[in-house]
This record gives sequence, structure tokens and C-alpha cells, in this order.
Amino acid sequence: MIIEVDNLVKKFGDLTAVDGISFSVERGTCVGLLGPNGAGKSSTVRVLQCISPATSGSARVLGIEASLAARQIRARIGVVPQDNDLDGDLSVWDNMTVFARFFDIPRKIARERIEAQLSFMGLADRRKSRIDELSGGMRRRLLIARALINDPMLLILDEPTTGLDPQMRHVIWQQLRGLKGRGLTMVLTTHYMEEAQQLCDSVIIMDKGRILRIGEPLALVKELVGDEVIEVRNHVNAAEIERALGGLEYGMETFGDTVYITHMDVAAVMARVTASQMHAILRRPATLEDVFLKLTGRGLNE
Amino acid sequence: MNNSLASVGYRTYYVWLRNAVSYRRFILPTFIASIGEPLLYLVAIGIGLGSYLGAIDGMPYLTFIAPGLVVSAVMFTSAFECTYSSMVRMTIEKVYNAQLATPVSAEEIVAGEILWGMTRGAVSGIIMLIMLAIFGLAHSPWIAAYPILWIAVGFLFSSLSMVITSFARNFDFFTYYFQLFISPMFFFSGIFFPLDRFPPAVKTISLFLPLTYAVDASRALMQGNMGWQLMIDTLALLIPGFILFVYALHRMKKRIIK
Ligand SMILES: Nc1ncnc2c1ncn2[C@@H]1O[C@H](COP(=O)(O)OP(=O)(O)OP(=O)(O)O)[C@@H](O)[C@H]1O
Ligand SMILES: [Mg+2]
Repeated sequence: MIIEVDNLVKKFGDLTAVDGISFSVERGTCVGLLGPNGAGKSSTVRVLQCISPATSGSARVLGIEASLAARQIRARIGVVPQDNDLDGDLSVWDNMTVFARFFDIPRKIARERIEAQLSFMGLADRRKSRIDELSGGMRRRLLIARALINDPMLLILDEPTTGLDPQMRHVIWQQLRGLKGRGLTMVLTTHYMEEAQQLCDSVIIMDKGRILRIGEPLALVKELVGDEVIEVRNHVNAAEIERALGGLEYGMETFGDTVYITHMDVAAVMARVTASQMHAILRRPATLEDVFLKLTGRGLNE
Repeated sequence: MNNSLASVGYRTYYVWLRNAVSYRRFILPTFIASIGEPLLYLVAIGIGLGSYLGAIDGMPYLTFIAPGLVVSAVMFTSAFECTYSSMVRMTIEKVYNAQLATPVSAEEIVAGEILWGMTRGAVSGIIMLIMLAIFGLAHSPWIAAYPILWIAVGFLFSSLSMVITSFARNFDFFTYYFQLFISPMFFFSGIFFPLDRFPPAVKTISLFLPLTYAVDASRALMQGNMGWQLMIDTLALLIPGFILFVYALHRMKKRIIK
């Protein structure tokens, strides 16, 4: 196991950000931490990074108990933080070389790795640029390149693609899949369910500091939602739909002006809803987003 | 507290190095600023005011104030570096955040910042001394011992300023520090007037101002009056400096780690 978390609690004063969670991460896998704003994702990964002490419980990373004193852990992991902390006073190249020194990487090896990482991330021709001359996507790729400088055994990414355009997001996914292909273990937090589905072998869905579910993305979708979802918008009332579907087995959830029908024999349900002249009907494959919303609730819950 | 000191290792140098690499871009502008300020004091106060005051303690006024300027320049630069500049790095540029995610410890970040404050202070001291030499005011062979004094003064004021930064909620806080502590110290530590000409109350206060000992030591070096007092002066800077250093490590760590 690369990570073993057991009953981890993290408090800030009276506020409990992480409320007794347990999970583990196997070597070579990618695990996603999902959860609404304030769920405790960043608080959790900051404990794993050994930059924030746990209040109680234990977190073992690379077989060592995570603590502020655990320099060995920090030396062997790479971190892409949620908030950009590239050094605005330094050029792209100096950002990388200065960072390499923090890890005691000999200059010659550092230079080779920096060359390799910058070209892997498509930044080779920006080495002289200052950070404020880079686009948001370039900064994020530089953060990833920087996180790889120490050839880590574990890469922790806190919302690696938030705020990026779809093209850039796909580019980053490609690169992360490449890293995973080389056997790198990854933990990532994200608000994009598609990102989790594309990259993660398993996801941990959190809310209010607790874990709601852990599982493989597809298995969770199948179990909690089914294969497809039928959305009926602008419905008159849920009772009418229940009447139309009488006798069939299905799951139903209402939010705002939409009824979501799940877990069903799709053909049979479709036949009934079309026959009953309901309109604004959308039939689509079920996704991790349905799972997420089902578990964490559809309304504002912060 | 012992723990804090034990966490300070060689990576302190890497934190210092980061600041040095970033400083390369600013060498010229800060160099010009560092020459401008001493020139102002030397010309306006030393030559202008000095021509009215005549001799103090049997020496021309300019000769009297010169030693104080060599150490007050160190004080101002170190204090500025470890308040405003450190706070920018900590809160705006998030430099400490990035460093924390590496094998560098929180204590090494703080120690590296203090070492850098001392470095900047020493550079100001050197520039001031060169200016004085150009004005023909520095010829004692004892000026070779200045590095010790610069280290002691820089260590004390960098550490003190780091403690101030650990308490600062915002940048306004530093205005109070400079206006209520650093600037008064500049005027009441015997740079511009001999301490025995102050009223006794002021003289007593000045004994609690660390810069007083730095000025005294600097005068001894520049005039070649070596004696026991120089030892006392140096200890009067190093001992509180060390206590503040350990306290700064402790306080700043609490502020950086959440
Ligand atoms: N340094 C801190 N001091 C006090 N409270 C904090 C601190 N960091 C986080 N919190 C609180 O802990 C809770 C969890 O925050 P955390 O940043 O871990 O959530 P998150 O899941 O990463 O959210 P987001 O998706 O918005 O990034 C929040 O209520 C937050 O306000
Ligand atoms: Mg977060």
C-alpha cells in the first residue's frame, strides 16, 4: 500500500474538516477524492503531504507515519497544490532549478530532468518566461512538471484542471494517463466527474469530512444509478409520473423542475412516458455525476 | 524550543539561495537606492547641519555620526527585508507554501529568511562603509572587523522583525513597528548626539535599545579604540538576537503550519 489512512481526523479550532476517514491506495493506481466545496479534500491531502498535522488517527504514506518531521515522505512525493504557488519572482527555468535544490538533486541530473519535464509538458520554449507571462493552462502544466522534479513515487494533485478550458483539460488528462502508464501512483481531487471517470481506478466520495462511498467509478454508477437515466422536465407532478409508470420497477428523484428516473428497464419506461404524452424527456447514459449528486444531494449544502 | 533549533539544517541555505536568485533582477535598483540614502545623510546632516554644530567630542560632526550610519543602514535593511518582503513572500507570493511541500522544514524557511535579511543588511553596511571611505572617514585598520558587527546587528534585527511578522495581520502593522520602534531607535541610540548629553531618563531608555550597543561598537571600530566594551556590545546584540531567533522560529512555524 502506498497510502493507508485510518480514522483520520483534522480539526481547525472548533471546525472539524476531516471527521474520521479511512481508506487505502494501492501502488500504481489512481484514486480520486470527490466532494462538494468544503468536504475536506484539501485538508486530507495536506495531511498526506506532511504539511499539516493530523488531529488524531493515522496516515501512513510510503509506509511511514505522516508528520511534519517526515521529510523522507516529502522527498519522495510530488504535489500539485490547489492554489498556484509558482514563484512569481523567478523565471520558468529558475522555478524548476530552485525547486530541484530543495530536493538535493545534483545540478546535472536536475538539468536533464527539467529539460525532460518541460518538454513533456510542452513548455520547452517558455523557459525564460516569467510566471505572470504564462496562461493559466501553462501554469498548471508547470506545476505538474515541478511536482515531477524529484521523480516521485506518489503524485498528489489537488484540482489539477479547475479553471482550464476543455482543450487544456484533455491535454492534462493525456499527460496524467501517460504518467499512470509509467506506474506512478496518483491521488487527485476534482470537481469534474468526467475527470474522475477518465483517470481514476477508484473514487472516494466525501461530504462534510466523512466518506460516503468508495468504489470503482463504473461499478458505483451501475449500483447506485443503473445504466441509463431518463429526465422528465417541466413535469406536472411526480404523482402523474408514478401513475404512468405503475407496475414497473424504478427509482425516482425530484429536484426543482426535473424528475430523474433511474434503475429501470429503460425500454419499458420509455414506452410509458412517451405514451403518456409527457414532453421534455431526455434519455441518457448514467454517469458518475448522477452518483455524486445522489450521494451528496442536489441542493446547495454548504 | 530545542526542537525548533534541531530542525534547522543545511536546507536553510536553499531558502537563502531562492531569495538570492530572485534578488539578481533587483541588484541595480537596490544598489542605487543604497547609495542614495547614505549620500543624503552625509551631505544634508553631516555637512549641512554639521557646519552649524561644529565639533562633538573633539571630532568633526561628520566623523561623529559616520559610525552610527554604518550600523543603522544594516538595521533598516534587515528590518525591512524581514517584515514587508517576508510578508509578501508568505502571503501574496505563497513562496513558503511551495517550500513546505519539499524536504525543507518550516524552521529552515524562517532561518533562511533571517539569513537573507542579514545578507541584505550586510550589503547595505558595506555600501555605507565604502561611501564613508570615499568621504575619507574610514581609515582605522579595525574596520576589517566590521563583518562581525554586521552579522550581530543583522541577526538581531532580522530575528526581531521576523517575530513582528509572525504577529502581523496586515501590512499596516509594520508601519507601527517602524514608526514606534525602529525610527525612534535611530534617533535615541547615540548616532547623532553623545548619549551623556541626553537627559538621564532618555539615557536610561537608550540602554535598552539594541542599536545603542551597535553604534558604540561601530564607533570603537572606526576610531580604533578597542577594549572590553566591544565584547559587551557584541554580546548585547548576540544574546537577545539568539533569543529572538528561537522565538521567531517557534512563532512563525505556528503561523505557517495549519
Ligand atoms: N487553514 C484553515 N483554517 C481554518 N479552517 C480551514 C482551513 N483550511 C480549511 N478549513 C476548513 O475546513 C473545511 C474543509 O476545507 P477543505 O479545503 O479541506 O475542503 P475541500 O474539500 O478541499 O473544498 P474545495 O472543493 O472548496 O477545495 C472547510 O470548512 C474549510 O473552511
Ligand atoms: Mg480543496
